[in-house]
This record gives sequence, structure tokens and C-alpha cells, in this order.
Amino acid sequence: MGKAAVAVRTFSAASLKELLAREGATLVGVGDITEGLSREITHLNRGIALAVNRSLNRDTVDLLVRLERIAVKWLKERGFRSLAIPPDSDRINDKLIAKLYHLFSHKTAATCSGLGWIGKNGLIINETYGSKLSWATVLTDAPIEPDRPLTESQCGDCTLCVKHCPSGAVSGQSWSRGEPLKRLVNYEKCRSLKKVRPRFEEKPNCGLCITICPFSRNGHKQG
Amino acid sequence: MADDARKKEILEKLKNGVIQYDEDACKEGAQEAVDGGLDANEAIFDGLVAGMEEVGRLFEAQEYFVPEILMCADALYAGLDILKPHCQQMDLGLKGSVVIGTVEGDVHDIGKNLVKMMFDVAGFTVYDLGRDVPLDQFVEEQLRTDSDLVCLSAMMTTSMIGMPKIIEKIKAKNPNCMIMIGGAPTSKELADKWGADGYAEDASNALKEAIKMVSFLRKLREEKAAKK
Ligand code: B12
Ligand code: B12
Ligand code: SF4
Ligand code: SF4
Repeated sequence: MGKAAVAVRTFSAASLKELLAREGATLVGVGDITEGLSREITHLNRGIALAVNRSLNRDTVDLLVRLERIAVKWLKERGFRSLAIPPDSDRINDKLIAKLYHLFSHKTAATCSGLGWIGKNGLIINETYGSKLSWATVLTDAPIEPDRPLTESQCGDCTLCVKHCPSGAVSGQSWSRGEPLKRLVNYEKCRSLKKVRPRFEEKPNCGLCITICPFSRNGHKQG
Repeated sequence: MADDARKKEILEKLKNGVIQYDEDACKEGAQEAVDGGLDANEAIFDGLVAGMEEVGRLFEAQEYFVPEILMCADALYAGLDILKPHCQQMDLGLKGSVVIGTVEGDVHDIGKNLVKMMFDVAGFTVYDLGRDVPLDQFVEEQLRTDSDLVCLSAMMTTSMIGMPKIIEKIKAKNPNCMIMIGGAPTSKELADKWGADGYAEDASNALKEAIKMVSFLRKLREEKAAKK
């Protein structure tokens, strides 16, 4: 409180990253997300991106939420504000704060902290784990030194996900941070698959665009 | 009953839980209050609500912005959920019915919900219209339920201007219904000016006022009946 008057000095979050890794985070990064913020949350211009190499089920959500709480506590103890966006942000509706969740995408924090780019499949691709990761983000006003962002797709000539998507939803364009309006994935088509293939009923969707990706397969091998 | 130091500690925990938007602290504090035999009403108003008042100041000083406020409100509600069932049911020998809501254009409903809670505790029948309620809906709901009272809440100078319109319409359709207004920008003076029958600055006074108004209404009705 009252810290606004003091000149802003960035600091390293190495100890927070270590703490979160010990508690089960696969990847932790800090991104400068100033560009990606809407009016209501402009003061929270750092995104702490958290990822675990597990599919997004109940246990994964619990683990990510636990990690977010640890980060929030760490920040509060140092006098900073924070807003934790849960991994399953679209499913939470019993809280007032949930109305603001849609203002921020986990993907933005991930690319800004250099933990991945957006693949042709529309998902975050990490060099080691591909898109076999589930994500959560803690926004904060702590002036943490940000990691280097990724701003261009590293998919190259690969088109595996385009070819194999059963709903033909993946358009094949390459992501670039400078061209945010490109429509990489047709989500209506992706969603429609769920309707005709009831065996995905309990899952968010088929997820073939994850398994087919060479980067994801690397990740799988490593564990 | 917990000793004074313990009580103070619990109230502080609830207050800081709201200020620090710490839902877990609010839940813990509320449970401690219940287990320690603290009066639930006191825990709510001197703990949780006291915290929200400080949050209001932080908002005005631009220390807090909308996300923090929303999280503070979530923390307050988390504590309230635990404390509410433990509020002593009061038997004041008189039970009225009331239509309540926050007026059109205004989504601030924490204060309104606290006023509502006091009515619940006193055994009133409450028809809660929620927040951002279209002006005419108050009129319709009053006619539908034939409630003794209509309670209007507004937290913004821009939304409270809807109040006189509602008051006028209700009075035209049903002169026997009494209207009370409240919320930070309103006042006794405005209530008088707009033709409302009552005003209260907080939830416990809202209940006291309501009791007065309902007993007045009952007396009036009895007198009428006696004359016939
Ligand atoms: C709604 C939703 C869906 C919907 C619609 C998809 C959509 N619109 O994104 C449906 C049901 C179709 C869906 C499907 C799937 N989803 Co989904 N979904 C979400 C959810 C809840 C919200 C996404 C959203 O609407 N964001 C708003 C839009 C505007 O942003 P965005 O497209 O997500 O992201 C853009 C920006 O971040 C921008 N960007 C990137 N870097 C930067 C930098 C700057 C500075 C700026 C300004 C912008 C920017 O580029 C991104 C891509 O265009 C997120 C969780 C979350 N809260 O983020 C999960 C999430 C995106 N889904 C996920 C997954 C895994 C899936 C599925 C594989 C199903 C599954 N098994 O769970 C499929 C895959 C479909 C596909 N190929 O993308 C994961 C992705 C993990 C990853 N590795 O990327 C997430 C992050 C959930 C999580 N917590 O892990 N999903
Ligand atoms: C919490 C809050 C919010 C939350 C509301 C969450 C919710 N579900 O209620 C959120 C973040 C959504 C919000 C949004 C906005 N808010 Co706001 N908000 C506040 C804040 C900080 C606290 C209000 C509160 O809950 N107080 C705690 C409760 C317990 O107290 P209370 O409401 O006064 O209620 C007590 C009494 O008034 C009385 N009472 C209340 N109702 C009634 C009814 C009757 C019949 C009676 C008898 C008594 C009674 O009893 C209650 C209990 O004792 C105030 C600041 C402040 N100092 O009040 C600003 C404040 C009310 N907001 C304000 C503004 C401007 C806004 C926004 C426009 C901000 C924005 N740019 O987004 C939006 C408006 C949205 C809309 N259309 O309504 C201004 C209003 C200024 C004005 N025009 O008059 C205030 C005063 C802050 C300021 N100084 O700028 N806000
Ligand atoms: S989840 Fe399935 S349908 Fe949707 S984009 Fe990926 S591969 Fe296509
Ligand atoms: S499958 Fe190929 S094109 Fe698709 S996201 Fe993975 S690397 Fe990129």
C-alpha cells in the first residue's frame, strides 16, 4: 500500500518459480502481458503462467488451483495484488469474480512468458511437452522481471494437425503475435464433432490435434 | 461466549479476510465465530461488513480496482454463507412482508442482501427481486404480493434517480403500501423529498424502521376495521 509513489524496480521471481516447481508445476514463467489486457485489469500487467504435464481432469484442476494459491500467498506476503484465473475458468459461475475471467486467456500468458507459441492447432505448443500441458495463470501487479516472449509460430512446414483433424477445423495458418485476427481453428467445427461422436461426451473434445503433434509426442516420451 | 480478546481476534480475521480478498480466512474466521459462540450478527457487521467499508475506502483511494473489489465481495459472501444460518431468529411479535431490490442500472447488491438478511432473521416474508431491477417490476411485484413494504436500494447517484419514479407509481396504485429507501448516496432528506415513508442508514436500523412502519400499518388497518 502506498507503494505507487516509489520508483518501480523489477525483481526476479526465481524463488517463486523454485517453490512452485517443488510443489508440482512442470513449467512456470512470467510474462509481460501489458499488451493483452482489457481496461478492467490494466494494473495487473504480469502473468505468471503455470503448466502441468497432465490432461485437464478434476485432479489436474485441483493441482493447478493449489499452485495458484501458493503463488497468490507469496505475492500477498510481499504486498502485491493478484488475480488467479483458474484452469477451468469457463465452468465457474458461482462467484462474482468469474465475470472477469473471460478477459484473459491462459494462452496469452504462456506466449508472453516464452513457454510456448500458438500452434496451427490453436493450442499452446511448448518445445518439450507440445500441447500435452494444462494451464493456469495468476495475474499480478508485482514488477517481476519478465521472461522473453515468443512471438512467432515454430511449427514450420508441419501440417499434421491440419490433415488429421476429423472435423476439418484447423485452417493451417501460422500464428504470429502481430496478427491476432488470424483464425487458426474453426471452433464451431471443433465443437460440432462432440455432438456426432458421443464417446467424447465426458471429455472436452477428441484432442487428436494434441496427440498428433510431434512436439507433444516428444513430451510424452519424456514422461 | 468467547472472551473479549478472542472475540476481537475473530472479528479482525473476518475484517482482514475481506480486505485481503482471502476467502479461506473468511471461512475460517466465520467457523471460529460459530464454534466460539460469537453472536453471528456481530460477526457479520463488525467483522465482514467493517472490512467491506475499508474496501470502499481503498477503492476510492484507487488502491483497489474492480477485480479486487469483486474478490473482496466473494470473500464476504463466503463468510456470510457460514454465519447466516446461525443468526438468532428474532421474534418481535410482528411479521411483515416486503418486496426488496436494487434499482435499475445498479448492480451493487451487498448492502441490499444484508438488509434482506435482517428481514429473514426477523421472520418477515421477503420477495427479493435482485439487482438492476426494472422500475416497473417493483410496482408489479407489490401489487402481486400485496406486501406491506417496498424497500429500494441504490448505491450510485446515477441510479438513485429512478427511486422517485417508483415511489410515485406505487403510491398511485396502492397508497396503503409503505416505501423505504437506502444505500450510500440516499438520505433522510431525499426520502422525504421523494415521498418515501422511511429511510435507514444501515441494515439493523432498516429492520427497526420496518417494524415501526408495519406496526403503524397494522394499527391503521385495525382502526379502519373498527370504524366499519
Ligand atoms: C472456451 C475454450 C474452448 C472452446 C473454444 C475454444 C477457444 N475459443 O479458444 C472449445 C470447447 C472449442 C475448446 C476446445 C478445446 N480446448 Co479449450 N479452452 C477454452 C477456454 C475455457 C477459454 C478460451 C478462450 O475463449 N479464450 C479467449 C480467446 C480470445 O483467446 P484464445 O483463442 O484462447 O487465445 C488467443 C490469445 O491468447 C492470443 N495470444 C497469444 N499470445 C498473445 C500475446 C498477446 C500480447 C496478445 C494480445 C494475444 C496473444 O492468441 C491466442 C490464439 O488465437 C480455455 C481456458 C482459458 N481460460 O484460457 C481452454 C483451453 C484453451 N482449452 C484447452 C484444450 C486442451 C482444449 C481441447 C484440446 C479440448 C480438451 N481436450 O480439453 C480442444 C482443442 C481445440 C483447439 N484445437 O483449440 C487448453 C489448451 C492447452 C494448450 N496446450 O494450449 C486450455 C488453455 C485449458 C487449460 N486450462 O489448459 N476450448
Ligand atoms: C463493492 C462495490 C462494487 C462492486 C459491486 C459488487 C456487488 N455485487 O455488490 C462492483 C465491482 C461490481 C462495482 C461496480 C461499479 N461501481 Co461500485 N462500489 C463498490 C463499493 C466499493 C462498496 C459497496 C458496498 O458493497 N459496500 C458495503 C455495503 C455493506 O454497504 P452499503 O451498500 O452501503 O449498504 C449498507 C447501507 O447503505 C444500507 N442499505 C443499502 N441498501 C439499502 C436499502 C434500504 C431499503 C435500506 C433501508 C438500507 C440500505 O444498509 C447496508 C448494510 O448496512 C462502493 C464504494 C463505497 N464506499 O461504498 C463503490 C461505488 C458504490 N461504486 C461506484 C461505481 C462508480 C461503480 C462502477 C460504475 C465502477 C466501474 N467503473 O466499473 C460500477 C457500476 C456498475 C453498476 N452499473 O452498478 C461508485 C458510485 C459513485 C456514484 N455514481 O454515486 C462508488 C461509491 C465508488 C466511488 N466512490 O467511485 N462496485
Ligand atoms: S479437438 Fe479434435 S476436432 Fe477439435 S480441433 Fe482438435 S482435432 Fe480437431
Ligand atoms: S501438429 Fe505440426 S502444425 Fe500442428 S501444432 Fe503441432 S507442430 Fe504445429
